[in-house]
Amino acid sequence: MIQRTNYTIQESPHFEILSEDQKERIFNGMMRTLQYTGANVHHEGARELFKKAGCKTDGVRVYFPPEVILQALSTVPPVTEIFPWDGDESKKITVEKKRSYFGPGPTPPNFIDTDTLERRPYLRKDASLVARVCDALPNMGYVQSLGSISDVTNGLADVYEFADMIRNTTTPIMSWSFERDGVYDQHRMAIAMAGGEEEFKQRPNFIFYGEPISPLVSDYHAIDKCMYCAEHRIPQVYSPCAIGGGTVPATHAGQLVVALSESMVGVIAAQLISPGTCVIIGGVQSILDMQYSIYSYGAPELSLLSAAHTEAVHYCGLPMYSTSGCTDTKKMDVQSAMEASLSINAAMMSGANFVHDNGYTESGLTGDVFQTVLDDEIIGMARVVERGVEVNDETMAVEEINNVGPGGHYLYEDHTMKWFREHWRPSLMDRNAYEAWVEQGEKTMKDRVLEKTRDLINNYEGPRDKVPGKANEEIEKILKESEERIKKASGNKAQNK
Amino acid sequence: MRMNQQINKSTRFRVLSEDQIEQIFYSALEVLERTGGDIFHDEALELFKNSNAIVKGNRVRIPTFMVEEALNFYPRKITLKGRNGKRSLHLQKDTVAFGTGSDLPFTYDRETGERRRTTWNDVNNAARLVDALSNYDFFMSHGIVGDAPNPQTYDRHQFMAMLEGCTKPMVLTSVDGEGLEDLWKMSCLIQGGEEEFRLNPLFVAYIEPISPLKNDRTAVEKLLLAAEKKIPAMYTPCPSSGATAPATIAGMLVQSLAETLLATVLCHLKNPGMPLIMGGVTTLLDMKMSTYSYGAPELSLASAANTDISKWLNLLMFSTGGCTDAKIVDEQAAAEQMMNLFYSYLSGANLIHDVGYIDHGTNASLESLVLNQEMMGMVKQFGKGINTDDEHLALDLIEKQGPGGEYVTTDHTFDHWKEWYRPELQDRSDYETWKKNGSKTMTDRVNERTQHLLDNYQPEPIDEKLKEELKKIVDDADKRHS
Repeated sequence: MIQRTNYTIQESPHFEILSEDQKERIFNGMMRTLQYTGANVHHEGARELFKKAGCKTDGVRVYFPPEVILQALSTVPPVTEIFPWDGDESKKITVEKKRSYFGPGPTPPNFIDTDTLERRPYLRKDASLVARVCDALPNMGYVQSLGSISDVTNGLADVYEFADMIRNTTTPIMSWSFERDGVYDQHRMAIAMAGGEEEFKQRPNFIFYGEPISPLVSDYHAIDKCMYCAEHRIPQVYSPCAIGGGTVPATHAGQLVVALSESMVGVIAAQLISPGTCVIIGGVQSILDMQYSIYSYGAPELSLLSAAHTEAVHYCGLPMYSTSGCTDTKKMDVQSAMEASLSINAAMMSGANFVHDNGYTESGLTGDVFQTVLDDEIIGMARVVERGVEVNDETMAVEEINNVGPGGHYLYEDHTMKWFREHWRPSLMDRNAYEAWVEQGEKTMKDRVLEKTRDLINNYEGPRDKVPGKANEEIEKILKESEERIKKASGNKAQNK
Repeated sequence: MRMNQQINKSTRFRVLSEDQIEQIFYSALEVLERTGGDIFHDEALELFKNSNAIVKGNRVRIPTFMVEEALNFYPRKITLKGRNGKRSLHLQKDTVAFGTGSDLPFTYDRETGERRRTTWNDVNNAARLVDALSNYDFFMSHGIVGDAPNPQTYDRHQFMAMLEGCTKPMVLTSVDGEGLEDLWKMSCLIQGGEEEFRLNPLFVAYIEPISPLKNDRTAVEKLLLAAEKKIPAMYTPCPSSGATAPATIAGMLVQSLAETLLATVLCHLKNPGMPLIMGGVTTLLDMKMSTYSYGAPELSLASAANTDISKWLNLLMFSTGGCTDAKIVDEQAAAEQMMNLFYSYLSGANLIHDVGYIDHGTNASLESLVLNQEMMGMVKQFGKGINTDDEHLALDLIEKQGPGGEYVTTDHTFDHWKEWYRPELQDRSDYETWKKNGSKTMTDRVNERTQHLLDNYQPEPIDEKLKEELKKIVDDADKRHS
């Protein structure tokens, strides 16, 4: 063993799009935009909060001076932990710079039916199906629903989704809601699962997702939900879907400045309310396809913008909500595979914290759990590169090279027996010789993805049985109450008319 | 304007730290001093015997200073010129060129859908596609001419099939030294003589050692001829981790570097200053299936690390990407090919070959070549990075449009959206349009595009007189071997 001094290793690969100077430019662009252009905040309470902190307001417009922004950034936590409700440490999430967790995305209206493979509206049963499948997949680090439930009481898709998902996966989920009431209900369910309010504060078991609107607008409900999460220390995402050439400039740098600025409004609000609460920003960053007028989920620009945005967001000291595994094609096919492969590998190299939309097809309008299963395999491959090359005396194997000698082979070496286990083992990628592949029925990747997914759907039960009886009752009770709430609200509405 | 601004004009990526590269280099030197390599070629053994190397039988052990001396003499830049007269292929640090692989024994017949032996026509079709598709910078034969009159001369016929279809620079395999000499002579005819070829080489010779650490007669024969005539050549190990190399990536890199360094010393002894290129298909043996994996993520990682080493050594790099284990062009092919294209591009390897390989390097597929055109385009777009000048930061525009504004109708958008990637095959239509147009999958579109190119694309023809002269070299070879 040769000992070396002054020795630095690249434990994982180094990847970078922006230089320090470039990150500073985008950061300064954000500071300037928030100070002089400002943002519209359609929430009087939030505007009061900003005003009290030293912001200038003019109608709904709020101008944020640098000291307010810097103060907010000084209290964001460098590390936050999110816990699976059953206490399984292996599924714990550590929100920390350059640590990545992948998951599906929220709210497309459509879903690819897992039996007929036809596109249809997303149903309540799909939420627990997606949760269960993702619970079984090794590379889904957190879970979203891949849809917006169409067959429950209008206005309660968010609450039902949460109730069904949290009981079908122990992997921490990321939820969304229409309004404050929705996140309030979800929060109570999460408390029931955690076993009490204090327990939830200590060990939060879900993340909430909300979004401002590009360019530079926080609508009432977005900022209202953000404030609720801050008040109750619910880790939250506050990030836009910025459309290059549509709602933000066509140039990538300009897009990042706007996206960063509008997200910062949520960060500032949350830190003013509860310094140290976890806020994740980022969002979908892509372009408007000028030929078809769609927001492209498969463009290489999505990968590039997301990776660069991750660097800008990390430069601010914030965790990043990024995007991958999604496509413009209508169902999983060769195009979706190549688009997903690019965006997943790019997101992995960027070190984004939460990478969503794995399983989006049709430019974000359809959820396709088959695509999620394919993405899971690709994420596994990207993890191999993330782990880098281990260089030491044992791995460099000079002894073994000498023992085997020119013209020999390594098949029976102890070193091989030990280390080949480190090779990544595919669950879907076929490595048969041609003849064996023919013998096994010439299955395509699509065939194998369908088989694996349906096998999970039919045979993997998920943690439903482990849900404590009390929590179950509480969740059912909350669902009933939410139905009452909607009934009352629609009654009021009718009266007001 | 601001002072002292450092800007990334492209993405930056590396796998190994400089210290780690040094460790691997020292270990490779240790292998050469302690273990050495076997050489089955008399002249090469003579060259080593007359040097400071130690030769016992076929085993050659090499002291470090000889390696260090040899490394000083390799060019850091090689520029190739295709028969189209363009000096289009600039091999120098961190410039990336994509190209096909070579010599695939089988092909999917586009008419019958059956797998069959590859022929002259298949190679010529691949050549035409590569000539037509803009993201291919160089051409290897893709398939092997299996219907040549004599396996001893197939390489000359293959070269003709390639030349007739493709005007871009090439990487060529050859049967042996004699074969390589014929390919070189043919290329000299095209470039206007030996001297012109030296400054404007048409091709790089593909030569490989046998891992671990074995150099057979024909490989060394080709290497020495390349050194003598100053033909650009790559000596590119294909170690399979766990079988012909250690099961660890670092061990595989050490061994293949030792193999490369041995060749650098040998070529230097023969004729200093030959344009030698480092290379490798560094991947693993799938222990369950006993196949050499072209889609394994370890291939991407090890190749990128190997490229880091090459840059540190100031050697040019021949790397691998755009290849898959999938038997057909399906979702697996797309996912694996995109992944290894991505990392090979990011790493900055100079010649990235095997683009379009399917079925772990046994099956040729023209559709795969067409699909990869799109994927290379996407990867290159990604590699452009982000422009952060004032025009692109667009702060004034952001202020002008204000919160709640739009950017679709601005001049700024009109000026800059052209910087985006324009897909050739990716579908971005809405669901209804897509249905109306026949619910086509990517596979359908790739097939259509392939057929369209095959039906319509014709490369610039070779001058008839030149063609006769080239054919004469081929005929003479056939006569010698009949």
